[in-house]
Amino acid sequence: MDLLDLIDAVQSVADGLLFGSTYALLGIGFTLIFGVMHKINLSYAAASIGAAYGSLLLLGGFTAAPAIIVFMAAALCGGVIGALVYFIGFKFIPVANPLATLMSTVGLLLLIDEIIVHTTQGVPLAYPALYSDVVIRLGPFMLRGDLMFVFVLGCACMVLFLLLLYRTRLGIATRAVSQQPIASQLCGISILQVNVLTFVVTGMLGGIAGAMSGAAIGMLSPLLAQPLTVKGLIVTVIGGLGSIPGAIIAGLIVGGLESLFQFLRGVTERDLYIMMLLFAFLVFRPGGIFARAPGRD
Amino acid sequence: MDFYLGLAQVIGVHTLLGLSAYCVLLTGQVSLAQAAFFAVGAYVAAILTVIFKWHLFAALGVSAVVSGLTACAVGFPALRVKGLMLVVATLAFGEAVRLFFFNFTYQIQAGELKIGPHGAEGFRQIRYFPEHGWSTFDVLMFIWLMVAIVMACLWWLDQSRAGAVMRAVGEDEVAAHSSGINVTAVKVLAMTIGGVIAGIGGGIFAHYTTHIEHVQFGVILATFAIAYPILGGLSNVFGTLLAVIFIQGFLIEGLRFLGDWRNLLFGALIVLAMNLRPRGFLDAGGVASLKRMLFAGKEGSGA
Repeated sequence: MDLLDLIDAVQSVADGLLFGSTYALLGIGFTLIFGVMHKINLSYAAASIGAAYGSLLLLGGFTAAPAIIVFMAAALCGGVIGALVYFIGFKFIPVANPLATLMSTVGLLLLIDEIIVHTTQGVPLAYPALYSDVVIRLGPFMLRGDLMFVFVLGCACMVLFLLLLYRTRLGIATRAVSQQPIASQLCGISILQVNVLTFVVTGMLGGIAGAMSGAAIGMLSPLLAQPLTVKGLIVTVIGGLGSIPGAIIAGLIVGGLESLFQFLRGVTERDLYIMMLLFAFLVFRPGGIFARAPGRD
Repeated sequence: MDFYLGLAQVIGVHTLLGLSAYCVLLTGQVSLAQAAFFAVGAYVAAILTVIFKWHLFAALGVSAVVSGLTACAVGFPALRVKGLMLVVATLAFGEAVRLFFFNFTYQIQAGELKIGPHGAEGFRQIRYFPEHGWSTFDVLMFIWLMVAIVMACLWWLDQSRAGAVMRAVGEDEVAAHSSGINVTAVKVLAMTIGGVIAGIGGGIFAHYTTHIEHVQFGVILATFAIAYPILGGLSNVFGTLLAVIFIQGFLIEGLRFLGDWRNLLFGALIVLAMNLRPRGFLDAGGVASLKRMLFAGKEGSGA
């Protein structure tokens, strides 16, 4: 590999790292819902894309709305959709039956996707990006402004979210419910309230993630839901279930490697290597990146 | 008439797929790899009949064995993890298999045509049935014969001690382990049986559609595979059949007149079904009341 190829390779890794912040946000959402409910929400990525569409719908009248408002609208829609998902797919299904919840979230995944296809006739929509004409040059490399914006926004969301989780009463309640649901109920924490708020907060994160991927790719399509679901789950597992720093780092790793493999081996083989990476993790380090050393239980 | 014959064929093949997932779900594992075993069976059987000119039954036997071995090989590493991790592990395996067939080309020259799987274009010209003069009705009979055999085997398995062991592992793994059951062996065995059934189903699928390609074996098919037994209920093999008829016959074909709205209704009905009957259409209580209804006279006269 000569120098030019090397520069291109590094460039693609950098682009992938920046885009990986989307995966990191999705991974946090999957992890948090699993941590609090001990259930899988397969409709999460579809809901995120749905929220991004919702923001376009909400601002339909103001086509010239600044991108930052579009992102806030996406977060708002994400929160609303998150609460709806909880009440439709989780609330009335017995806690002891994880299979039924799995299936109901699959149903929601199909439903949300179909609502999107139905309202847009399946035509991909353009999504506004911020700073799309800005290019930062660093020697031979260049950083695209829209990807930089996505990355910075993603980091800001993560910091805000960590503050929420570790510095507020809601965060304490959420963590308590995730560790000892019955004990926290005895201490007067309303499980219902915590669950709903968890879904709203993760929904808002998901809405921003959906808007970010829309802005980074430049358009929205219902076809995005499935690959984002798969990538979000992979990030959750590589990062370690329930580990938020793990999800962040795994998101960046998956984003960077995906872009690198695409550069090296082409787009058709790209995902194959990501799947192999996941399988290797499951075999050699099933607890994820931040797994505690195996010891006595 | 041909339409209904075709529909019955689809229902039969999907029942095989659902039964393969049923077998795995009995031991409490959620596997999204069934579509991958289905794909392996489809490609192996089709390659054997098209390129090597084997007889269909021999090809189906080999595809069942190959799928079973694949499932067994996946079972060992994948079963180190549980719950969500297993779902993701099997999902990743399924996607990896699909992407493998996406990049897989193996063609030979036959006359003017090139035959065999060809990467993204898929595998065309699997013409065993027309070449050997099978009518649509013969194919249908063959498919349902296989479904009946598989269902009978699973029914028998369910009534036997092995079925009780599998259910015990599914209900409470720790309790099963402490009463001396080799949990890993049971899980791998269930995975292997599931792989064999999916392999047969895939082999038949490849031959009646005459054209297979990688997109057919994606996450959607894997989700359907686990949806049938979960919607139908895990108490009994007929639940799976009922769910396949409901989804393929009623939701996909029966509601075609609704046009676009059908797809919307599809997801909503799954959510509704799970909210109303979280244990599936045919749960243990349902079976019991059905038995009471059918055999009420006999029991009444006995008492």
